[in-house]
Amino acid sequence: MHALKHGPRGAAVLLTLLSVAAFADTPAGATRFSSDPAKSSLEFAFAQAGAQNKGKFTKFPVTLEASGGGTTPTRLEVTVDMTTFDSGDKERDDTLRGPDLFDVKKFTQAHFVATQIARTASGFDAFGKLTIRNVTRDQHVPFTLRTATEQGHAVAYIAGRTTLHRLDFGVGQGEWKSTEWVGNDVTVSYSVRLVAAQ
Amino acid sequence: MTIRNTTDRWGAFAQLLHWVIVVLIIVQVTLASLADDLPLGMKKLALLARHKSFGITILALAVIRLLWRWMNPTPPLPDNLKPYERMLASFTHAALYILLFAMPLSGWTMSSARGFPVSWFGFIQLPDLVPKNKPLYDALLLTHQTLAWALYTIVALHVLAALKHHFMLKDNVLRRMLPFTKTR
Repeated sequence: MHALKHGPRGAAVLLTLLSVAAFADTPAGATRFSSDPAKSSLEFAFAQAGAQNKGKFTKFPVTLEASGGGTTPTRLEVTVDMTTFDSGDKERDDTLRGPDLFDVKKFTQAHFVATQIARTASGFDAFGKLTIRNVTRDQHVPFTLRTATEQGHAVAYIAGRTTLHRLDFGVGQGEWKSTEWVGNDVTVSYSVRLVAAQ
Repeated sequence: MTIRNTTDRWGAFAQLLHWVIVVLIIVQVTLASLADDLPLGMKKLALLARHKSFGITILALAVIRLLWRWMNPTPPLPDNLKPYERMLASFTHAALYILLFAMPLSGWTMSSARGFPVSWFGFIQLPDLVPKNKPLYDALLLTHQTLAWALYTIVALHVLAALKHHFMLKDNVLRRMLPFTKTR
């Protein structure tokens, strides 16, 4: 115990570290759910010359922590593997993955984490930090939550949609900064099945 | 000149539809050939968005034109034409009408098949005619391009015939589709 050798101050640092570590871990009484990739989807849509173009990500692990037997969510975290982007058209995919848009070579992941989750009329609203292309912004992620027991496993279903502005995250450099032909608003829809950790 | 057709010339509305469609087809060919040479980028998206919007406009005008044709008398061809010339004229006109529908519809379907939906000048998003399907897209692209060449051929025939009527047969066939001219 290296810290103890440094007297009371060192012990205080250790205690702080321990408590940070405790918070990073699942708090007692909470359930930690992890997403089931086979039954989860993360899609987005944006206007291109007035018509909705759609795409999806196929790899985006989600973890949800909830207390009260899974009914009160306390933490939501999503990591999106940007390289798994798919719009169903190679030319559009290549363009979106390119340096002016997602730049997936440089920014392989997008990330969302929220520890402030409020109850709303229709479900919950996770207020947290969204990082895309290394730019971090505040983001609301509203969702509905349904829990169930399936074959003895506690599972949770979350679903919802939110809107973000691509230019807030620098998704659109050079000519793509213009919103004349590709809109700034992006609607993100999600439907995730999560399974409780054993 | 009257709005409606008469038995010896096209009315103002039929002429307007004819010449507006002529201009739009020239615009369409220009936009398509400009877009064809570009990689996917903002400029290509802009050109193709306009190409789709004008294409849908032509489709709508073609519907109106066909309805107007049914609601109005069609000025007959001159009496002195040979049977094969009459057949050729009927064939050319029928082919032009078919292409006015087939070009935009193949384009619209091909956009749907590729997953690039069609919007009319950003005002209305049109429904997808088919789900996303790459082999179908490839087939429709070839169809759209082939129909374009068919259109060039038929238009060339149509123009040559109009010029033949005007300069060689010296009849009213071209003149009755032109505004501000008197028929003899």
